Amino acid sequence: MAQPYDYDYLAPLSVSEKLWRVNWLVIAIIAVLGGIGVVALFSVAGGSLQPWAEQHALRMLFGVALILVVAATPIRFWLAIAYPVYLVALALLVAVFLFGTLRMGAQRWIEIGPLSFQPSEMMKVALVAALARYYQWLPPHRVSNPIWLLPPLIMIALPAAFVLKQPDLGTAVLFIVVGLSILFLAGVNLLYFAAGAAAVAALVPVVLANLHDYQRRRLMTFWEPDRDPLGAGYHIAQSKIALGSGGITGKGFMKGTQSQLNFLPEKHTDFIFPMLGEEMGFIGTMMLLVLYGLLFFVLLTMGLRCRNQFSRLLIGGSSVVVFVYLFINVAMVTGLVPVVGVPLPLVSYGGTSMITIMFALGLAQCGYVHRREMLRRSDMGTIC
Amino acid sequence: MFIQDAADQRHKRRFDRRAVLLGVAQTAGIGVLATRLYQLQVMEKDRYAPLSDDNRLTAQVLAPERGRILDRFGVVLAANRDEYRAVIIPSLARDLKLVLRRFARIVPLSDKRLAQIMKRARRQRPNRPITVATGLTWEDFSTINLLAPRLPGIRTDVFGRRQYFHGHSVGHVVGYVGAVQRRALGDDPVLRLPGMRVGRTGVERGADVRLRGRGGQVSFEIDARGRIIRQLAKREPERGEDLVLTIDTQLQAHALKLLEGYRRGALVVIDVAGGDVIAMVSSPTYDPQLLVDGISAREWQRIANAADDPMLNRTIRGQYPPGSTFKMVTLLAGLEAGIITPRTRVRCRGSFKLADQTFRCWNRSGHGVVDLHRSLRESCDTYYYELATKIGIRRIAAMARRLGLGQTYPCDIALQKAGLIPDPAWKRGRFNRGWYHGETVLASIGQGFVLTTPLQLAVMTARLATGEAVVPTIVHNKERTPFEPLGIRPEHLEQVRRAMHAVVNEDGGTGTKAQLSTGTIEVAGKTGTAQVSRKSASFKPEDLPWRERDHSLFVGYMPSAQPRYAVAAVIEHGGGGGGAAASVVRETMQWLVDRDPIARPAYRPPTHVNTSAGPADGRG
Repeated sequence: MAQPYDYDYLAPLSVSEKLWRVNWLVIAIIAVLGGIGVVALFSVAGGSLQPWAEQHALRMLFGVALILVVAATPIRFWLAIAYPVYLVALALLVAVFLFGTLRMGAQRWIEIGPLSFQPSEMMKVALVAALARYYQWLPPHRVSNPIWLLPPLIMIALPAAFVLKQPDLGTAVLFIVVGLSILFLAGVNLLYFAAGAAAVAALVPVVLANLHDYQRRRLMTFWEPDRDPLGAGYHIAQSKIALGSGGITGKGFMKGTQSQLNFLPEKHTDFIFPMLGEEMGFIGTMMLLVLYGLLFFVLLTMGLRCRNQFSRLLIGGSSVVVFVYLFINVAMVTGLVPVVGVPLPLVSYGGTSMITIMFALGLAQCGYVHRREMLRRSDMGTIC
Repeated sequence: MFIQDAADQRHKRRFDRRAVLLGVAQTAGIGVLATRLYQLQVMEKDRYAPLSDDNRLTAQVLAPERGRILDRFGVVLAANRDEYRAVIIPSLARDLKLVLRRFARIVPLSDKRLAQIMKRARRQRPNRPITVATGLTWEDFSTINLLAPRLPGIRTDVFGRRQYFHGHSVGHVVGYVGAVQRRALGDDPVLRLPGMRVGRTGVERGADVRLRGRGGQVSFEIDARGRIIRQLAKREPERGEDLVLTIDTQLQAHALKLLEGYRRGALVVIDVAGGDVIAMVSSPTYDPQLLVDGISAREWQRIANAADDPMLNRTIRGQYPPGSTFKMVTLLAGLEAGIITPRTRVRCRGSFKLADQTFRCWNRSGHGVVDLHRSLRESCDTYYYELATKIGIRRIAAMARRLGLGQTYPCDIALQKAGLIPDPAWKRGRFNRGWYHGETVLASIGQGFVLTTPLQLAVMTARLATGEAVVPTIVHNKERTPFEPLGIRPEHLEQVRRAMHAVVNEDGGTGTKAQLSTGTIEVAGKTGTAQVSRKSASFKPEDLPWRERDHSLFVGYMPSAQPRYAVAAVIEHGGGGGGAAASVVRETMQWLVDRDPIARPAYRPPTHVNTSAGPADGRG
């Protein structure tokens, strides 16, 4: 009790103190990325704020507000509801699996009256929180114990299995990568990762045999995009043409022929990156990557400064969520991985993924705001 | 509390290490993406930039007008007649079917045609026009233009339909145009235009690129749906060249009339001074206009399969054994090799034996002792049989090629056949057999494997007459290079020419029928009889069925003293060369002489203008 850092624990923070502790550099990077999105959407619409740019700006404002609200909420609250929220999200995924609405060939949505939402988006945040909650509770000497490794693996595997059934390959990959990253950050013995990697290598042929037709087709067109240039390979081909023809300096703002003349599909959502690459060139895409790199770096330093495991893992998990979005999106539009339909975080137009990302970053900020809290077992709510 | 703190400390140390490792992994991930972008946007940018332009740019080709074809005096043989037509550009018609149905209320379209257009629209790029209706009347054309706003995508235009004049007489030379064949597509975008026509035969084909001109182009920027965003650049089409032929249409018509006295024949007249082909007649003939206007498949069959094959241009595609007209070749080969001299004599007993083979002279009773001059004048075969093996096939073949046989010429008429000048190498390649002496004997009188076209025979005659390597010209060419000398010794040529003169002008000559009535202008030439069946040797032509009669050939030039025109004629199954072919050549030459102002009596001042007043020029 006499340790100097304990005063934080004793004296709860006021709202203004919490806002003071928010990492405003991260907020600034988010604003810049969102701003780039607004500019890109303005260009995509042929120099108009409608229908996307203005809406995106409003969503950004709402998103930043959300971050601040989540950040200012007492961290014990998130700690307490982590498991219940996870269970609700899992139940909703099961519900989607049983009664969900089909949209664009995939069963992802739940409709409650006029509202429709995707439980898989909710699960992205819930999974991070629940795993962080688990390792906050688990004593360090048990982290690498195989019995205590089983619950988090199940927590990852269940939602991954359900979204894979939807079918949504991109989200399943996100769950697995984010979940395993949290296990990694929590300090699970590296031998398990090595063994897991070996097992995956052995399982690849089995998985390939069980893929849905559309997934296998996407994989095939990914390996040979020229085979069907007007079909599924069209997306990749046009995206590469957009990026390549942009060259080093780009064709100039609002002068990208691939996007302005609609050769680039989904250019306001999943394919906004090649649109930027066409108009801003290699210089533009590098600046964008550097900006994301800066975001991850700042999140890393934030994590290093936290005194409780929950904060650290919330920050690490959120960072990986954004990273997976970014990597899959850019790798997809450059033809490195199959087209799986993942937006570019903070830049792409689209409400659902934005709320997910903002919420995740809000939790990271919350962890950072409460970086000096010493959380105890008594703080962990009713479920162990 | 202490335990809790210790646990937190362990947590934290482990997290810090792992977080840094994760940071490294994230950096590596971004590095992978950056490398990929470097590859696409920096290393491969030159590959993608044109692909992007391919996407957004489209061009519409503007058709050039095809050049006209005129004869040597400016008579129009092929020109273009304006025709009104309507095309549809599917990408501009929002509802293709609706537009076509509206269109059909102005100009009726059959259901079959409608289905055809719809099918093509689905299969080709949406900016490429499709012909909807051709041959519109002015009234329909104006109605369509008036209603244009109600017919989005419909465009009217005027295009030139080929029109031929004097087609009956010059059809084989001029040729005709037809739709572009699929395998000919590719290089020139003009060829893909709807209704585009290219030359199929004759000069239309041989000089197609010059006649065609160059297509113009309008380029547009289009969006992904193929809609035109804006016009970028326009280049006007360049009209095709007008070609002036060396053909004299009147001579052509006259010669055709002469040939039409027989079932099948061909005749070529060359102006030896410049190689101008002034007549090139193949009979029977056809009117190319029929083929251009589009005829039914049945009608096409009727023409193509007609008796005597009117579609065949016999002057360049008819390959005949030259018969005795080849004897000049053998003579010159022997003279140049020093094997024959004017004093070389051979006794003709009517046949010649080589090993166990017997070769007969046309004169069964034999010519007696024959020298060079007589051998040609009376066309004694034995003379050539005797000397052939000494001269050898290689020398004969080389001389034949030197005189222009066994080859096609770089003149603008398409689809020439090369004929055949056999030699041991050819036989080895064709039959994988050695050469026999007997084959040399046959070749020496233009039989056996030897094949020539009438054009080649005319060129050979022109070369004999001038001693120069005359090359025929069909399209008049402003810059001419003088012909090279053949390199044959002039006295040898002179000996052959004297003998050719004797063929027509001396008693006992086989070609006396070719003498002109004018008298002052003499013809030199050579008859030829190409055996078609073995029976012809033992029967008179009249007693044989037409199909088994010999071909009648005659080659000649005039005036004998200063050659101007070289003529070759072949009358299929016309009997001996001294008959049908010689008289056709005579009539042709007579016409040339009659029309030549030099041959007409010179203008003399009327004599009654006062002789008493004394000569005005002061001469005494």
